Amino acid sequence: MNQAKVSRRKLGIATGAALGVGLLILVAIVLPAEFGVDPLKTGRLLGLSDLAGGEEGALIEQHTNHAEDHVEFILEPFQSVEYKYTMDADTAIVFSWQADGEVYFDMHSEPAGRPPEDEVSFAAGDASEQRGVYIAPFTGIHGWFWENRGFEEVTVRLSAAGFYALATEYRDGSTFDIEPEPVLD
Amino acid sequence: MLHQLTGKNGLRLLLNTALLAALGVPALAMAHSIAEGDASFVIGADGPAIIPFIYLGAKHMVSGFDHLLFLAGVIFFLYRPIDVVKYVTLFAVGHSITLILGVLADIRINAHLVDAIIGLSIVYKALENMGAFNNLGRFRPDTRLAVFAFGLFHGFGLASSLQELELSPEGLLTNLISFNIGVELGQLFALGFMLLAFSVWRSYSSFEKHAFLANTIIMTGGFLAIAYQLTSWYLQSA
Repeated sequence: MNQAKVSRRKLGIATGAALGVGLLILVAIVLPAEFGVDPLKTGRLLGLSDLAGGEEGALIEQHTNHAEDHVEFILEPFQSVEYKYTMDADTAIVFSWQADGEVYFDMHSEPAGRPPEDEVSFAAGDASEQRGVYIAPFTGIHGWFWENRGFEEVTVRLSAAGFYALATEYRDGSTFDIEPEPVLD
Repeated sequence: MLHQLTGKNGLRLLLNTALLAALGVPALAMAHSIAEGDASFVIGADGPAIIPFIYLGAKHMVSGFDHLLFLAGVIFFLYRPIDVVKYVTLFAVGHSITLILGVLADIRINAHLVDAIIGLSIVYKALENMGAFNNLGRFRPDTRLAVFAFGLFHGFGLASSLQELELSPEGLLTNLISFNIGVELGQLFALGFMLLAFSVWRSYSSFEKHAFLANTIIMTGGFLAIAYQLTSWYLQSA
């Protein structure tokens, strides 16, 4: 341990400098990057405000059709189904699903042109409902895996609206494509 | 020492320090969140998963900038291996107690508050290294007690990051202990590199001269961590 006598003044200056630099870094770099708060306008200068989104990210204009989807899956005990939307990057859907019993679910996406192992899982676990807004981070197929791990039949109802190109149901090794029905013609 | 902070060279040194510290910011921001892929693993894990949790614990410690910064402060002036063992064990026992207790008893303390205190531990240790408490005589805090006490808070921080995930009650104790073992392994791993770096640095005569500045930098990191956590807390409760 350092036993030397240290001048109070030196210590005070060092502490003050450390506190000052720390706060400066916080206000100039961390606040813009993490929270979109930019009192010194350094975030804008350094391009950090793009990281935080803030007002710039609120509106994402869409160019595909706005479609609505209501589907129902009946899962016998230990049956599972996957349902995915084909979506481009930065397109969005608003969704909610409900099951009349508990199911295991995994909301995940597979990037286009990549092997299935590259899938990204966003939420998973045992639940009977989920609601959310999903903005596709990349082009690919995005959706859910549901599995009935109980001994009673479970029905899962999904409602979604958004800007997807195709909906696909994957069950028992077969694939069913469903074309979206545009809300506006 | 102070004359290094004035003049052109001093300014450059200060700016370089600030830049280095700023690069550490993303690491600090990540210091208390478990990566997304790991998160979904933990949520999905139903039952004991010893090796994965050991790995998670190790990874969490190795990427935990605030824990590592405190450790660096602790071993900064520990020249004898026995002292390193003594103090690191005190820290490990402290954080293990609260990690296990925190998760098992589901003690929920605001994560930002705990992390701010961890930032405070970094500032404290840096100040002590700089000799701030040398003149306190009888009232000088026992270093071993301080390391243990702050270890308790580090443990609550570790517990809170695990609590953010939904740990399955099946195999909870096994997974928790595995996570703890992982934390200790990660700590040893990081410690190895730190000790290596320190022993190289200490072989230079400039070590004593630059120690004060180095601890000032560590203290800056501590202040940044405190400020970041308090800001997050304020903005999230707003």
